[in-house]
Amino acid sequence: MTTTETRTPVLELRHLNLHYGSVEALHDVSFSAYGGEVIGLVGDNGAGKSSLIKTVSGVNTPDSGEIIVDGQLRHWRSPHDSMMAGIETLYQDSGLAPDLSIGANIFLGRERRRSGLLGRLGFLDQRAMEREALEQLARVGITIPQTQRTVSELSGGQRQAVAIGRAIAWAKHVIILDEPTNHLGARQSAEVLKVITSARAHGLCVLFISHTLPHVLEVTDRIIVLRLGRVVRDAPTSQFTVESLLAAITGLSE
Amino acid sequence: MADSTQTEDVTEPAARASWLRRTLTNQQVVLFVVLAALIVFFGLHNSLFFQTGEFSNLLTDFSGLILIALAETYVIVAGGIDLAVGSTAAVSGVVAAGWIQPLVNAKVNEAVVLLVGALACALVGAIAGGFSALLITAFDLVPFVATLVTYSVGAGLALVISNGAPVGYNPGAIYWSASGIGMVTWLVAIILVIAIILGVVLHFTAYGRYTFAIGSNAFAARAAGIAVRRHLVSIYVTSGILAGLTGMFFYIRSGSGAATTGVSNSANLIAIAAVVIGGASLTGGIGRWAGTMLGAAVLTVVSDGLIFINVPPTWIQVVVGALIAVAALLQTFRRRSRRLS
Repeated sequence: MTTTETRTPVLELRHLNLHYGSVEALHDVSFSAYGGEVIGLVGDNGAGKSSLIKTVSGVNTPDSGEIIVDGQLRHWRSPHDSMMAGIETLYQDSGLAPDLSIGANIFLGRERRRSGLLGRLGFLDQRAMEREALEQLARVGITIPQTQRTVSELSGGQRQAVAIGRAIAWAKHVIILDEPTNHLGARQSAEVLKVITSARAHGLCVLFISHTLPHVLEVTDRIIVLRLGRVVRDAPTSQFTVESLLAAITGLSE
Repeated sequence: MADSTQTEDVTEPAARASWLRRTLTNQQVVLFVVLAALIVFFGLHNSLFFQTGEFSNLLTDFSGLILIALAETYVIVAGGIDLAVGSTAAVSGVVAAGWIQPLVNAKVNEAVVLLVGALACALVGAIAGGFSALLITAFDLVPFVATLVTYSVGAGLALVISNGAPVGYNPGAIYWSASGIGMVTWLVAIILVIAIILGVVLHFTAYGRYTFAIGSNAFAARAAGIAVRRHLVSIYVTSGILAGLTGMFFYIRSGSGAATTGVSNSANLIAIAAVVIGGASLTGGIGRWAGTMLGAAVLTVVSDGLIFINVPPTWIQVVVGALIAVAALLQTFRRRSRRLS
């Protein structure tokens, strides 16, 4: 990722600080992320991973510091603001509505209306949504035989793939994935990692949060290690092994 | 590129389930067969059951149930429950009856009187629904408790306002309630039109889609930018309005407002029963307009039919209980067969 440094970062965090009461959740967190880059965000429980992604996605408001998306300084009032700015966040196990069809899930909150008066009355173009959902998923390498089936009928790996496919479909700049391979078997995890690679190929920046260090080493270009709310390492993935990564996470390497 | 990155699992539940099994586990199909069988059964026991007069009665009783049953469908699909619909019907009927009695006494055109009454009922219902919504969204009470509060307050106020006696007297309303084309009265026709609109909104519009999304996964709905609280408020207010209109329905049929309307017969529980029999899930996210309509039809035919074949009315609740049990078991069976295959 040496050539990317001359481009404008799609996401730049400058000196973010966040407190929960007297607890310091984030301390002076700064980094830049570029399109076409997969960044692993690792750290022990309580290191600040969740606080950081919630701040970037607009769930938390930082006490101080700046969030710059594609060169523009941004302030989030709600998670919806970050979505509108091109950042899609996939939270653990909660991205999809299981009783809705795949098409309904892909278009959730961004439904296609029918044209003309019916559309203005709120009528949905369900057929177009189901069709476009299939096309969009195929574009990122996900094939599901029948979109009319509800998400609850898919396997865990398929669900996660659909959720990430949804994020890729709508994100303009960044997708944030919180433990996307949690609770998945080896084969299903491999599928999810493949979809992440496809997001990179689409020019998106992926923030990949995971406890599964081999997955992080396999799919990321760069790894940021958080400890006690601070960035303690930020280096290309090639510089890490599972052992050195563990050492950085636990603080043994200093 | 598609083949190399298949995410499809080896097992394919939908394809493996046989056509017969899928049909048998489709609640709507089952209900339709049950409904037909019930009509034939009651008809064979008493041929008077097939007379148009009785059919008209069935339609009218059905109309008194479907608005609150459909209101309950929206609420249940959104993951909530509304216990207040019965007493909301009572309190709105009683209040509206008092408000429009001066118009009745002044011999104002009956259509105007009933329109004003309907608006008054809708207003009182909206206030009741808004009260439930406030308790749920602003004070974080669970819907069961919040609407139990509204139910209790509504039932109490209806008694206080009416003093336990019918409020007002409007023979013109009773007269109008019988007018119409053939066996379909205007009253029934209006309610059926409202019911159809509710079905179209539930299954074909963004409003309906958000209702399902919230009941299925409120967190995902919020993350997708859906205004969950505002949507829930609108659902409970709408439920209140529909309960209010049901109060007006009973006012029109009896020519006065009564505190017992929808309370003495536990209309809230019958409405919930219709929704559950129709295949909705009380955990939210699952429900069909057609299911609720068929559920309400089955309940209406059973209640009226049992009387027709001289079964004491006291037994009707037992039969309704059995119906709910069968419907719930069917749903469990369906879910299990889906998981096992």
